[in-house]
Amino acid sequence: MALLKVDDLKIHFPIRGGILNRKIDDVRAVDGVSFEVKQGETYGLVGESGSGKTTTGKAIMGLNNITSGDIYFEGTHLNAKKGKKVDVRRDVQMIFQDPYSSLNPRKRVLDIIAEPFRNYEKMTKKEEMFKVQELLEKVGLSSDSVYKYPHEFSGGQRQRIGVARAIALKPKLIIADEPVSALDVSVQAQVLNFLQDIQKDLNLTILFIAHDLGVIKHMCNRIGIMYRGRFVEEGLRDDIFNDPQHIYTKRLVAAIPDVDPRRREEHQSFRAQVKEEYEQSFNDYFDENGLAHSLKPVTDTHKVALPERG
Amino acid sequence: MSNKNNAQEVEETVDFDKFDKSPSGFKIFWKELLKDKLALFSLIFLVLITAFVFGISWILDQDEIVTVDLFAIYEPPSSEFWLGTDYGGRDIFGQLIIGTRNSLLIGILVTVMSGFIGIVFGVVAGYFGGHIDNVMMRIVDFFMVLPNLMIIIVFVAIVPKYSVWSFSLVMTAFLWMGIARLIRSRALQEKELDYVQASRTLGSSHTKIIFTQVLPNITSLIVVTMTLNLAANIGLESGLSFLGFGFPEDTPSLGTLLGYATNPQTLEFRWWIWVPAAVLILILMLAVRNVGEALKRAADARQRRA
Repeated sequence: MALLKVDDLKIHFPIRGGILNRKIDDVRAVDGVSFEVKQGETYGLVGESGSGKTTTGKAIMGLNNITSGDIYFEGTHLNAKKGKKVDVRRDVQMIFQDPYSSLNPRKRVLDIIAEPFRNYEKMTKKEEMFKVQELLEKVGLSSDSVYKYPHEFSGGQRQRIGVARAIALKPKLIIADEPVSALDVSVQAQVLNFLQDIQKDLNLTILFIAHDLGVIKHMCNRIGIMYRGRFVEEGLRDDIFNDPQHIYTKRLVAAIPDVDPRRREEHQSFRAQVKEEYEQSFNDYFDENGLAHSLKPVTDTHKVALPERG
Repeated sequence: MSNKNNAQEVEETVDFDKFDKSPSGFKIFWKELLKDKLALFSLIFLVLITAFVFGISWILDQDEIVTVDLFAIYEPPSSEFWLGTDYGGRDIFGQLIIGTRNSLLIGILVTVMSGFIGIVFGVVAGYFGGHIDNVMMRIVDFFMVLPNLMIIIVFVAIVPKYSVWSFSLVMTAFLWMGIARLIRSRALQEKELDYVQASRTLGSSHTKIIFTQVLPNITSLIVVTMTLNLAANIGLESGLSFLGFGFPEDTPSLGTLLGYATNPQTLEFRWWIWVPAAVLILILMLAVRNVGEALKRAADARQRRA
């Protein structure tokens, strides 16, 4: 059974306007998304800005109101009844995108990391301190930084504090919302590798939200590509990177820069060619509103949003 | 292995009772004060003058001081009347002491009460937003459109016993909205930051987040506003007394003393009546401001000097 199952998730935000501030339209941030995440894997959610990746992640955390659709975690229906939310926060944790705003500047590292303990576990101060130091060591920070404030750390170190906080309760699923996009490249690799190490250590499942395909390729087993609130393609890493079917995915993959300068011309013309194809066949791959069609299986592991033929 | 060693080391070197929470605001403020001598001096001055004024006024008999003595009208300072007398032959020094007490009491009471209501109202409205915010802010708007000066005048006319407490309550009823709006706008901004959502995901309740996460982050704003308000509220009573809606002459305050200076004769030739009160108001406000500045820096880890 899948650890996390998202079924036809829709999140619409109302646009208000006109007289009396009535609801005149919706922003369809997430518009019918379904996917499953299996125990132990890293599932990548990719898409451009505004494609609904983060909104999906936050909805799973219960931070957004869900318009329709269902979310199951280990078979438990998370949004069963309105107002009556099931508390799975012990098992699902989140790493936030911005390491600068996700740590309370008025709290010391000790208080930040110990917050989940204080909410869920009764611990003495000694146990708490021991645990926090253990976590800090695990994320590669020195254990004497417990009394420091967040502004005394660099971006990468702050993100590690965020990770330490997220793994404090030993969750089963971590939603990593662009955990490295605010960091510079040298630090990105550090944080990513160390996320992978921790994943092995704790047998974590990660829902990895990102827009950087290089990062996704490095991290994820399976990948879902989003465009304007819908999935355009979903499959194993090799399916996506070696055999992209949807024109949007093709263009994304073509946009990955090539490090080899001798092949620059070649790569450039390839990109131009894909761009041309994208513009010509846009109407074949998207419906009249410019939205993706629903997913159709191509192979066992590979699903693509293709129009109904015939 | 290394983890264990480290933890043991820490257990030996760290006194857990000493560091159970983030260092309290008071400790940080104290360190900041020791760095800023002017603020330290101001605080000592404020404490001394408050203690002095409240202590002496305990001994002084207000009724005796405000009794008219026609044989001692407009006496210049002498050994009998340290700061002379006013047109009723009343001792200025005694009036100054009791007046300072009354003015300080009103200033502090009004600031604390309006601050408390305003902060709680504002932070709750801002944090929850949406419909709750809408309803709460309409209540604020309602209070703001009330003609407060008129209501205070009516109040002065109908209340039989006009005391420091009743005056403070009425002032509070019309002074909390500004703070509520200010705090709300900051709370709206603050709740969008990821650390609030992070706290939600870590299982903290709304109440806990509001009072232990959001509120500490807007303390610098609160402190600055409250300090400015304190200075303003000390002056507020003077203004109303000046207009004739403050305390009657048998309840002296810094405002009633200053009010005597409307008489040009007094202004020019009988300085001992109004100069001490004016100087005291000036010094009090400066001192309050200096302390407020130190508090402001203590509230923001990045501005600290200590």
